[in-house]
Amino acid sequence: MAGDCSIRALWILNNLDAVVFSRRFPVVEKRWRAACHSENESSGDDPVKYNVFSSLPSDLELAAAFADRKTREGSVRGFGIRVSQSKEGSDSWVDDPITRHIVGFYLNREEEGENNLLWPLALHIKGPYCILILPLVEPKHVKAYARLCKRSDCGNAVMADEKLSSLLLDLPSITGAFMVAYAIGEIVTGDVAEPEVVVSQSPSVGGLLDSLTGSIGISGISRAKPIAAPVASSAPSGAAAVGALAPDVPKSGSRLLDKDALRSFISSAMPFGTPLDLSYSNIFSIKANGFSSLDIPPQDLKQPAWKPYLYKGKQRLLFTIHETLHAAMYDRDEIPDSLSVSGQINCRAELEGLPDVSFPLKGVSTSKIEVLSFHPCSQVPEQNVDKQALMFSPPLGNFVLMRYQATCSLGPPVKGFYQLSMVSEDEGAFLFKLHLMQGYKSPLTMEFCNVTMPFPRRKILSLDGTPSAGTVSNTEHSVEWKIITSGRGLSGKSIEATFPGTVRFSPWQTPRSTSFRSVLEGTTDDDSDNEIENTNNMVNTEEFLMEKMNEDLPPVDLEEPFSWLAYNYAKVSFKIVGASVSGISIDPKSVSIYPTVKAPVELSSQVTSGDYILWNTLGKCPSAVNAKV
Amino acid sequence: MAEKPPPKPISPQDWESLVEDFQHGDSRREKWRSLSPSVVELALSSILKKEFPFKIPLIIFLEEFSDLLFPPNSLSSLLERLVETLRVLVQSPIDGIHVTYALKEQMMVSMTSILISTNAVESVEARLTESVVELLLVVINRPNHGPDRHARAIACECLRELEKAYPCLLSDIAGHLWSLCQSERTHASQSYILLFTTVIHSIVNRKLNVSVLNTSVPLVPFNIPQWVSGSEKEGLLELNYKELRRAMAFLLEWPQVLTPCGMMVFMGMIMPLAVDLDLQPSMLKVQFFWMIYSFDPLLYHVVLIMYSRFSEAFNDQETEIVGRLLLFSLELQQYLVFRLLSVHWLMGFLNGLMVNGEDAEKKKSVVETGFRLYPSVFDPLSLKTLKLDLLAFCSVCIDSLKPQTVSDMIVGDGNSVVKLFQDGLVSVSAFKWMPPWSTETAVAFHTFHKFLIGASSHSDDDPSTTTALMESAIFNHLKGMLVDLILEFQRLVPVIVAFIDRLLGCQKHLWLGERLLQTIDANLHPRVVIDYRLVSYFPIFDRIAENQTIPPRRLLELLTKFMAFLVEKHGPGTGVKSWSRGSKVLGICRTMLTHHQSSRLFLGLSRLLAFTCLYFPDLEVRDHARIYLRMLICVPGMKLRGMLNLGEQLLGISPSSHSGSFFSAPSPRHYPDVKKSKNISSYIHLERMTPLLVKQSWSLSLLPLGVGSGKPDFSGGFKDTEATTDERDLDANIQFQTISEDERIDKPEAPLYVMDSKVSEILEILRRHFSCIPDFKHMPGLKVNIPCYLRFESETFNHVWGGESSKNGLHGVDALPAIYATVLNFSSLAQYGSIPSCHIPFLLGQPPMSGYLPGETDSLDIIAKHDDSGEEEIYKAPVMIELEPREPTPGVVDVFIETNGEDGQIITGQLQSIMVGIEDLFLKAIAPPDIREDVLPDYYSNLFNALWDACGTTSNTGRETFPLKNGKGFAAVNGTRSVKLLEIPTDSLIHATERYLIPFVVSVSGERLVNMVKDRGIITDIIWKDDDSGLLLDSITSVTSQDTTPLYLTFVDNEDEQESRLNISKRSMGCIHVLIFLPPKFHLLFQMEVSDASTLVRIRTDHWPCLAYIDDYLEALFLS
Repeated sequence: MAGDCSIRALWILNNLDAVVFSRRFPVVEKRWRAACHSENESSGDDPVKYNVFSSLPSDLELAAAFADRKTREGSVRGFGIRVSQSKEGSDSWVDDPITRHIVGFYLNREEEGENNLLWPLALHIKGPYCILILPLVEPKHVKAYARLCKRSDCGNAVMADEKLSSLLLDLPSITGAFMVAYAIGEIVTGDVAEPEVVVSQSPSVGGLLDSLTGSIGISGISRAKPIAAPVASSAPSGAAAVGALAPDVPKSGSRLLDKDALRSFISSAMPFGTPLDLSYSNIFSIKANGFSSLDIPPQDLKQPAWKPYLYKGKQRLLFTIHETLHAAMYDRDEIPDSLSVSGQINCRAELEGLPDVSFPLKGVSTSKIEVLSFHPCSQVPEQNVDKQALMFSPPLGNFVLMRYQATCSLGPPVKGFYQLSMVSEDEGAFLFKLHLMQGYKSPLTMEFCNVTMPFPRRKILSLDGTPSAGTVSNTEHSVEWKIITSGRGLSGKSIEATFPGTVRFSPWQTPRSTSFRSVLEGTTDDDSDNEIENTNNMVNTEEFLMEKMNEDLPPVDLEEPFSWLAYNYAKVSFKIVGASVSGISIDPKSVSIYPTVKAPVELSSQVTSGDYILWNTLGKCPSAVNAKV
Repeated sequence: MAEKPPPKPISPQDWESLVEDFQHGDSRREKWRSLSPSVVELALSSILKKEFPFKIPLIIFLEEFSDLLFPPNSLSSLLERLVETLRVLVQSPIDGIHVTYALKEQMMVSMTSILISTNAVESVEARLTESVVELLLVVINRPNHGPDRHARAIACECLRELEKAYPCLLSDIAGHLWSLCQSERTHASQSYILLFTTVIHSIVNRKLNVSVLNTSVPLVPFNIPQWVSGSEKEGLLELNYKELRRAMAFLLEWPQVLTPCGMMVFMGMIMPLAVDLDLQPSMLKVQFFWMIYSFDPLLYHVVLIMYSRFSEAFNDQETEIVGRLLLFSLELQQYLVFRLLSVHWLMGFLNGLMVNGEDAEKKKSVVETGFRLYPSVFDPLSLKTLKLDLLAFCSVCIDSLKPQTVSDMIVGDGNSVVKLFQDGLVSVSAFKWMPPWSTETAVAFHTFHKFLIGASSHSDDDPSTTTALMESAIFNHLKGMLVDLILEFQRLVPVIVAFIDRLLGCQKHLWLGERLLQTIDANLHPRVVIDYRLVSYFPIFDRIAENQTIPPRRLLELLTKFMAFLVEKHGPGTGVKSWSRGSKVLGICRTMLTHHQSSRLFLGLSRLLAFTCLYFPDLEVRDHARIYLRMLICVPGMKLRGMLNLGEQLLGISPSSHSGSFFSAPSPRHYPDVKKSKNISSYIHLERMTPLLVKQSWSLSLLPLGVGSGKPDFSGGFKDTEATTDERDLDANIQFQTISEDERIDKPEAPLYVMDSKVSEILEILRRHFSCIPDFKHMPGLKVNIPCYLRFESETFNHVWGGESSKNGLHGVDALPAIYATVLNFSSLAQYGSIPSCHIPFLLGQPPMSGYLPGETDSLDIIAKHDDSGEEEIYKAPVMIELEPREPTPGVVDVFIETNGEDGQIITGQLQSIMVGIEDLFLKAIAPPDIREDVLPDYYSNLFNALWDACGTTSNTGRETFPLKNGKGFAAVNGTRSVKLLEIPTDSLIHATERYLIPFVVSVSGERLVNMVKDRGIITDIIWKDDDSGLLLDSITSVTSQDTTPLYLTFVDNEDEQESRLNISKRSMGCIHVLIFLPPKFHLLFQMEVSDASTLVRIRTDHWPCLAYIDDYLEALFLS
């Protein structure tokens, strides 16, 4: 059934490659068998027949297949694109990075002969767990994939008749499987992310449960409080990878799997394997609270499935505009700086009944909004995105009303340059010259601003230099410069801060880990000619050092934007409140609610830094050309 | 399994471990099979217990393993118990602790699931299913009831699953369901809507004529309609369109109450319904297109599916959909996998668009939107990869649209694709300076590949021509870029090699890889600097060397220069370096040898190798170069390649280790196979090049037991007093022993006899002659060569040894087996001294006689051309058996072979022995070195006469000894005479003489004979004596005076014959004198008196035993 999504089975493995939870859905499996049966009948002597695997593996078999793939593909996720180690028939042979997420297993079963490809499995790594979801697809799709990963030629051409893209487009069940995987991932690790909504009185308010229980919280429900904003990619991925291989393996963790929570989630979210509602908070509220005879359905309307409860109590409407600023500051003529805002409007509608809320979006035309997308509850009249009027029927609790990508209409809040020059192999002289909040007017307030210089591969011995503003401290692998400390916000004026200094490192030691070296080279070069030769040709110490350090640069995961370790940069983190930097805004006065009720509307804005990077002006830096269309 | 059944699980912990065992699989699951009462029964009783905390997991367990736990034989009873349990649970009141909604819900779900997966409707009484459906219907039949709303929703789902498993199960009560659906207003309404939609869907799908408004059939009791069991004919009935459309209209009202997941299920049914009920697709568009603005990936995907079903309804929305997909991938808030998926969807979408026959202008504008998706700095590399793929895809699409439209778009002309490529590549440009294992490098080369192969797919009917691709701007740009990369960033060489390998490994794009190599070959050599860093290019050179489309000349020149550089730079500090570089160069040479026709390489490679042999500082390298050089010269192409390829060829292994493995001892598994070696003489043959005239079956040996034993006591009394213990003293047994020095002392220096001038002249000649004969006792003796051929029969050989090449499906010469490194050892009982062994590096088997197929001649020609020899010759190896006879007797030489088969088997054994005939021992008498060429015939003639005289019975030289060469040994002449009459015509005689005795003829006399022989022009450089009488006189003087008459008397033993003899004598035409030297120091003289019908051969020799063979020989020579 095209357009449907059903799950045949799911497995959760821990970081020891053992299955800690599994669930099979016999009803879906029965459909799969029927499909296999008819497929085998219809395709009498199809040579690829053997690829269809007709039954589900036991936990033991799956764990073996998982470990097998891990060995074959080098890591849990795999190579993704075809490299020299890729084997025919393996995922990376397909030469597509998505095979790090949609994986195939070969089950080792003798009696089944060769027909042992288990595909597609949605792989989601969360905390110490690997979550594998096997959606129902048709046998012909499995065969198509088998053909893709077993083709003997040099790899798919872009115009091929049979390609992964078309396959993925035809298979919404894979999309659904990932939705399930992420939902389960949140449950197994307990960090159910809820959008943050800030109110003036208390810093933030919680989700659906709080709205049901009046912000008290129900004891006995083991769930983590939503603490951070869920802007997933805003986490500073670069600084996190300190001196080590970026992890492609599940992190170790000690939290035990809450199997009961998982079971009860599954039996409500997808009792027969077909997901019906993946909202954890809804399901959990229903499980925890149930319904009483006091919960009366609305008289003339159908209560949406995504809103099992109706709010009762004091009515108000809260909006928080949350923006994350990403910047790559080069301070070079040939590379333009890039600055982008990814924002979202979070909302919490404490309104009784099933009202519709509408308001015009301010500043959409003035700020260059690139993307707008909305919560399913909002009704977006066709081709009306630019009209900036938004109507929605709010669900309970905190939710993301809309998301957008925009350019920063105000210009960079932190502007300037960072220069680092290696005076000798172990000593670097650096200079910062930064303008903060240039052109930013009140009420925009910068709450704090830190600049971090990470040196993940070198050990800092000492640091000299005094900044014109703020304080400096250093750890073993980074220097931190706090320009504006929290509590002393910067508002209504701009400041200039400079920081010249030198940093001394302990001598560079080659970590002779040849594991990744040998990945490509096969053998290490026995006579290392290049080093000898290059020494003479090297122009300066800096390049020499660079060359030397690059010898041991580990390859990064495909999930990283580039090899952070290869560059020198400073990362700025800050928080600005008061308004959005994209210029998008909501006028609380123009928010209307139907049926009309009197409810106060509160609006707050906060801007945080994402990857806000000042590249060393004197060194190498990654860049990209922007589309010109 | 004899294991006793495990204890019954009682506590929740017991059950938990049981569940784990089942999930784990294997034997852990097996052990519970034997439990009695069965697991299900035990489980059900546990579930019914009031206080049992493990109820829900247990129910799930029953569901998950229903196919194992509910065996067909007890299915009915177990199901009945299960239904009973369900009824109890559903009907018991909620207490919030032991009986919860969660328990009830789970029980309903699992019950349904078990019913479906065990196919209860068909396998057991339908009543069971009916009662479950009834129970569920009772549950759902309380719309808007507060507390149990979720349980009702779940019950709806149960019914929906049943309806899905048994389509039209609920179609009778569709009317009831619709009204329930209409009245339900809680959040459970989604389940009611979906249930009703499913019922409608199956009605339409089965084309069932039922009324969906009709509520006349009561909800309960429930009866399974007969069409479920399939007895009713399908598809013939008319649908009640009006009612169904009404139902659809109702359903379409409520999409906004559904969750995204619910929407997906809903749309999965609505779309086929809309088709079957002929609804306007635009209606769906109006209702659902908004979902594309949502950030939920599921809703997104639903719209895409909808588009693929009703693309005509979305006619103008393509740009918008593409635009939304682009933006979706930009949303930083999305999980990465969805961003990746969206790029895939986009490519799939555009692919579909391109395939469909839409107008090009529209396609172009849609596809161009794709160019907005450049990778940005902070995009994860996987996303960058896909975006670059998309750019490649779009550029190919635009390119394919170009012919139909006027190209004025940015990416229309070739340059712009290059620009696009360059711009896109900036995002991973770090690959240039990063280590070659970096992910950036992998992505960059992935992108090269995508751009490079572009539109050419791998299907056979792909229309794109190679020339189009070859001429494309992107290809030209890429190959230029690769050359630049190689020159600038040597560390990228392995990556580029891997890239080219990938193309080379592909049937379709092999030529691309070759073309790249050609480009590199053409552009790299002139630009590269010859220094030590050249080594980093060796992987590329290896590929170039492997490739037959690239003439090896340039590379060989470069390598020769590099070798020269190495030789030049060699100093005390570069020992290992030189060795390693040199070995690597030889590794490339080896690659060339294995992949090119030897003729193509010969000039350049032999120069390089010869240079290396001569000048390279490292011994091992020199050695290997020598081996390669010899192979290049000796072994024919295909077999050479086979030989060099034997080892597993791994990239990056230093070539010296290759050669090491080839030339070291064979691996231990190859022991000589005695059994197989037994009969090798039947198919490996060593044969004389010229067959013996006399098929000698015997040999006269005076001391048969002498050979091989160096012990002096065998020689007995014949032994010379001064005999040394070396094997040569066996010669002491020979009657015509050289006279040792002691003897010489005993004997007077000058013998006492009358010496006239003639005798002294004779003595003079003989002294001179003997002084030229080497004395084998003190120096290397005279050698006799017996040319032979070694050959073997392929068929039999393969049969015994299972030749590898025949298995490989090779044809022609390549299919023939070969033997390698053959050593032939010889031994003989006859007195031939030690016979040196023979080495044959390589020999090809003889094809079966019938094996000359027309297809093979080509390859044979090639081989033949290479070897500069006839076709036959390649199957025969010339072998020279070198004898150093101590005594001129025929004998038998035994031949032992030791060789290697292609698979490395060691083949040893004895071959057919080689017969050595007396004629093999015939040598031309040694001419003194100081004699002039033009007087040589005179010398021989005189020598003949002198020897003739000396061998006469009454010779005056009888007691004379003659010093041999170097003066240590002496020889004496002790002649014997014999005579033989051959009755053959003159012509045959002359012919035979010309054929076999030509080197030995010293003179011809008699005018008639001279004229006859001279005219033929074959015998030359001898003395011609026209003066018949003079000669006769000369001969007569000697003959008459000494032995003519007795000779006649001796031979003529009846009167009649005597007459004829005389006649012959009278009719004599002349004489042919033949002087044959028999090593080590003997002579055989023929004086052939030729007449018309017969010839009288007078024989004299100073080695009487040889007469034993001469008779046969002459008969064979002239009479056969």
